[in-house]
Amino acid sequence: MAERLALIAKYALGLAMAGIIYAMFLVVPQYVGLGDAGRIIIVHVPTAWVTSAAFALSAIYSIVYLRTRSPLHDASAVSAAEVGMLFCIFATVTGAIFAEVVWGTFWNWDPRETTILVLLLIYAAYFALRSSIDDGARRRRLSAVYNIFACVTMPFLLFVAPRVADSTLHPNCAFLQGSKCEGVSLDLNGAKISQLGDVVVELKAVEQVGDMTRAVVEVRMPGLTEYADLAPTMDSEGKAADRPEFPGQSFRMILIEADPQAGTARVNMQAPGTGLLSNQRTLWVFLASNVTFGLLALWIYRIRATILQVSARLQTTEAF
Amino acid sequence: MDAIELTDISIDYGARRVLSHLTLRLERGMVMVITGQNGSGKSSLLRVLAGLQRPSTGHVGCVTGTQAVLPADARQDIGWMAPDLMLYRELTGRENLRFFADVRGVDIPDAAIVALLDRVGLQGRADDLLATYSSGMTHRLRYAYALLHRPSLLLLDEPSVMLDERGHALLEEVVATQRLHGITVIATNDPREQRFADTLVRLEGVV
Amino acid sequence: MNNSLLWRATKAVFVREVRSELRSRQALNAVALFAVCSIVAVSIGLGPLNRSAELPLIHAALVWIVLLFAAFTALARVFVVEEEQRTAAALRLAAPVHAVYLGKLLFNLVLLVALTLLVAVLAVVLLRMQVKAPTAFAVMLAAGSLGLVTGTTLIAAIIARASSRSTLFAVLSFPLLIPLLVTAVRGTALALAGAGWDRCLAPIQTLLAYAVAMFVTSLFLFATVWED
Repeated sequence: MAERLALIAKYALGLAMAGIIYAMFLVVPQYVGLGDAGRIIIVHVPTAWVTSAAFALSAIYSIVYLRTRSPLHDASAVSAAEVGMLFCIFATVTGAIFAEVVWGTFWNWDPRETTILVLLLIYAAYFALRSSIDDGARRRRLSAVYNIFACVTMPFLLFVAPRVADSTLHPNCAFLQGSKCEGVSLDLNGAKISQLGDVVVELKAVEQVGDMTRAVVEVRMPGLTEYADLAPTMDSEGKAADRPEFPGQSFRMILIEADPQAGTARVNMQAPGTGLLSNQRTLWVFLASNVTFGLLALWIYRIRATILQVSARLQTTEAF
Repeated sequence: MDAIELTDISIDYGARRVLSHLTLRLERGMVMVITGQNGSGKSSLLRVLAGLQRPSTGHVGCVTGTQAVLPADARQDIGWMAPDLMLYRELTGRENLRFFADVRGVDIPDAAIVALLDRVGLQGRADDLLATYSSGMTHRLRYAYALLHRPSLLLLDEPSVMLDERGHALLEEVVATQRLHGITVIATNDPREQRFADTLVRLEGVV
Repeated sequence: MNNSLLWRATKAVFVREVRSELRSRQALNAVALFAVCSIVAVSIGLGPLNRSAELPLIHAALVWIVLLFAAFTALARVFVVEEEQRTAAALRLAAPVHAVYLGKLLFNLVLLVALTLLVAVLAVVLLRMQVKAPTAFAVMLAAGSLGLVTGTTLIAAIIARASSRSTLFAVLSFPLLIPLLVTAVRGTALALAGAGWDRCLAPIQTLLAYAVAMFVTSLFLFATVWED
């Protein structure tokens, strides 16, 4: 009975994965400014969180191993790390592809990129350590210690990573799901010059044009000598309408608030791809993909853990 | 330490079991000698008794009164020497002993350290770097390391392998003194040393 | 474990490390040579740099990169040499576990502080590094050094029992040191540029928090690494 169920589950998982791939290319609509590259998010995001979960699982089993000293627990820790590494590579590569197409650079030291890279380095180090120790018990013990030690540094990374993007070379709020910063407020009668990331912005005008509110903002990109005028607009309901692109970049300027009478406006930088998930079909495919990838990871992990555990058991009985 | 108990001790070299389910108990005043071919597990057994190695099965208990602790927790009461015990070559004999005394928390005045060096036959060499000692002298310093803190349990692995006749006399004196207040375990192939034994354990080689 | 006993043993381990190092001078030489070569290479290669808004950041990054790689060459020595010289068994049998860790940690810290001093002086002289907030700079370097040693000493103990030790030390340590590196470089740049305490305090706090976290975790895990 249980075997039957397992067989059915296996086929169901295969079908679901095939379904996701199909949907990713044929069901999900294209996005303005992103082209087909946006589809990669369907697979990129799930692999990213799966790798973090795998890392956590590996650390937990490492702690358990140090308590019990049972090779079976170590086998679980290693399998989780293997699955994690596999998905980490996938997440990093898909992420870099997306970044190149959308943002123009392969690597941005964006917080998420930094975190995934560090995770990749930790996985690689873990396996390098394991392969350099011959004695079985010592190998298990020391790699478990390293796993736990590496885990302790993760909170610092999560805390520190956002500050990496704080340098003068990279834009600050360019995250995928839209800007997390509130943008800058400009006032024609007061502070009309400010900075968005490292782009200097100056408010030139705020006017009502028909039923749209428009702000005219002069932008000075670092390294470029010409200035450019951008005119983001907002409709009567306060939703941003026209989002002009920054010159030479894929980022767009959006108008968040505007008051033509007072001469104030609030503008922000936005990465393309924001609002990707507001489309219903995409959202459902995305959710389904998360579930499918999670199950896939679990399945690979179970198989690998079983193999390693069987091998560990064989080794102990072989001796006598 | 009043006694040391081995319960069901087995030792493996990788996949090969060299010692199988040994159980015995040694009390104060007893001397046990372990003999066997090279590779038969003599040194490993001594390391297990010292707490430097974990046995593959079973456990060792250092018994004081009704309390039993692992050798790793009874370090201050165990003295061990072996041919592969290396001390710090860039320090002098005196500095080595002073370091190990400090690190063990043993209050021992300088004069006593010098006296110990004399006892093991290193008189006048206290302030020479260990790197300048001959192999015989290095071995004598190992005795000093093992005896520094007056342990109840003394573990001697190949104690006279690098020593001459005078060295042998040192071993006799050490065993005789230790017999008075503690337990001695010697691992050796030297037939002369087997006569020290109250208990003789012969480890068979691999079949 | 009796505290005064632990302290006495720690001191003994530390003094012994210092004594051995002064007699062989291996780590000192390697580290000093590395620092001098790196700074000279950069100085010759870059030539005089124009003062710009980014110069403090560049100087800070250079200083920390040199410290990081010099650390990779020298900080594993305390444990690796014990294994190579086979003295580990004697120490294992005689010393309380935590005294071993604390004594060697202290030694690494002193070594790194000496190195930091050397690198700072070299950078000022050869790279014309301007230190506009000297106290903040010193505190930043001290906090960063503390983080660097607490983050790497346990790793040194781990790799001492493995093969290909030198590369493994760098491979294992580097990912864990990234948060430290980022914070230290930025914080040092702020101090070089003369930022006030209100801005320098945050990175210093982060560095110290990192050091404390690494230290406490190492204390918990060291016995497992040190046992045979």
